[in-house]
Amino acid sequence: MEDKGEGRGYIVSYQGLEELFCRLKEGWRVVAPKLKEGVILYSEVESLRELPFGHRNREMPGFYCLERAEGYFTYTHPVNSLKAFLHPSELVLMRVRTSDGCLEFEVCNSEGNFCFFDVRACDLFALEVLDRVFVHKNPHPDSYYRKLREGAFVVAVNCAYATSTCFCTTMGTGPEVKEGYDLLITELREGFLLEAGSERGRALLESLGNKKEAGEEHFLQKRERLREAEAIMERHFEIGGLPDRLYGRMDSQYWKHIEKRCLACTSCTQSCPTCFCFDILERNDLKLKESERIRVWDSCFSPAFATVHRYNIRQSVHSRYRQWLMHKFAYWMDQFDLFGCVGCGRCITWCPVGIDIRQEIKKVLGSE
Amino acid sequence: MPVCDSPYNLKEGLVVRLIRECENVYTFHIATEESAQPGQYNMLYAFGMGEAPITIASKGEDYIVHTVRAVGDVTRHIDQLKEGDRLYWRGPYGNVWELEKAFGRTLLLISGGLGLAATRWVFEEALKSSIKRLVHIYGSKDYENLLYKYLYEDWSSKAELHITLSKPHPKWKGRVGLVTEIIEKLELEEDTVVFICGPDPMVKACVKLLESKGISPENVYASLERHMKCSVGTCGHCMIGPYFVCKDGPVFRYDLIREYFEREEV
Repeated sequence: MEDKGEGRGYIVSYQGLEELFCRLKEGWRVVAPKLKEGVILYSEVESLRELPFGHRNREMPGFYCLERAEGYFTYTHPVNSLKAFLHPSELVLMRVRTSDGCLEFEVCNSEGNFCFFDVRACDLFALEVLDRVFVHKNPHPDSYYRKLREGAFVVAVNCAYATSTCFCTTMGTGPEVKEGYDLLITELREGFLLEAGSERGRALLESLGNKKEAGEEHFLQKRERLREAEAIMERHFEIGGLPDRLYGRMDSQYWKHIEKRCLACTSCTQSCPTCFCFDILERNDLKLKESERIRVWDSCFSPAFATVHRYNIRQSVHSRYRQWLMHKFAYWMDQFDLFGCVGCGRCITWCPVGIDIRQEIKKVLGSE
Repeated sequence: MPVCDSPYNLKEGLVVRLIRECENVYTFHIATEESAQPGQYNMLYAFGMGEAPITIASKGEDYIVHTVRAVGDVTRHIDQLKEGDRLYWRGPYGNVWELEKAFGRTLLLISGGLGLAATRWVFEEALKSSIKRLVHIYGSKDYENLLYKYLYEDWSSKAELHITLSKPHPKWKGRVGLVTEIIEKLELEEDTVVFICGPDPMVKACVKLLESKGISPENVYASLERHMKCSVGTCGHCMIGPYFVCKDGPVFRYDLIREYFEREEV
């Protein structure tokens, strides 16, 4: 077990955070939340000032807006997720060249060297989910994901706020960051509490100047802030035994209600931090001498997804919704020993008709 | 060129023999010494078109056999290959027929249409094994689409081979009707092991009938066909309930897959 130094930490000022950020920039490509196109998006950033400090995202089913707020880490997670960097929406797997009937292959495997800065508990849990899907629970570990993920430095942030679509407390993934990070930031009244979650995190933390040892009152304050976030969220359903309860409801008539609302637009699967399904396409040059094999995000809502010999096994939209929900909350547990949902609520916010998966689960189970 | 570890790396082999089975269906012998087992499949690649999952129909010491029907862009392209051409593929993938389950018992194979390509190799292995009684029922929609006509004589001299066509044909002196009509008339012990591959409705109908004859779905193994894109258990297309057909299958013990396979739109 790595010694995380439980109960130890330092208090730094905003200048202290800037020093930390500069040190991270020296060794990594830093990805952090940034104001972009009117929303908060994970992007590569050059300085700490690019972060959306003092902004607050307000989210409801099918609704998103930004407001001003007092403080720094005043928002929750960005609109996109870290999936965009580790399992990009379009990735060249290999280039194939032809000459005299022979093919030459060039595998395109790029390194990530990422530092993910300002990652919330839900998104951190999503990293664990993706690690299992692509590497740890995969009989053919994905070299592309692994290379992008390897060595990534994670600076996590505890949420002191939640939106109306957040449900990490229901899924048991947040708001408190518990593991999987190198450094953890909690914003307090007089500065930022920094804690290390790994040896390299501790080494970096120890090397920072202008810090003071955190006392018991700071850890009390941290718990208080987390409680504030927790208090905003209600517990929507019980996750104990949820897979079995859902397996028992596969023939429920309720699924058909979704047919009338779901547009099968794939917004939910794209915004989801763990939806991993993809297609492999060929991109050819016009001379037909070179072809790229590219991996692109796909969605179980798309009509071609389960098509075999031109016959789509899941013709109705509600059967695709059932596939998605059952995968997230039942099949995923059988496949990877955890849920495929981290409770971030992105699928609820970004559903154009505001379908709320928390309500759908309750209704599917409702007629138990 | 650096050799990188990628689950999508392709291998190369020469087409050493080509057999025309019927319209749009060709059998290829591809030179390779790679190991594989009955039940598994390869992803065959066509430059600029993509890949298609194709079962390994048989295997010799230094070649594998694939039977390909031209139904899509990739398979249409592969079916244009000639002897001496190069074929690129990756694999083998998937699990295997558990032939040892049938040792000392009756083994019934049921093949529908191109499904015969998926049962041919295990049938050939069964002919050499300690199977008490070996029965193979093969149904084809018509005379023109019969596969492996050149093997029937040998097969029928070694096992009970029943071939049936859905439509009569002047050249066909054999049986006309559905595979279920043959199963109905067969006397089968309750511990008979069944391997089945064919269209989904045929599989469902056969299992129902076998159950009425006292054969438990625990002794029935079905090779399923689903949309397999990556074949390494990652892309999600081939999911049926909690299973990935590409890596947990394609062969499933029927009682384990039944509730997903028989339910609509799963």
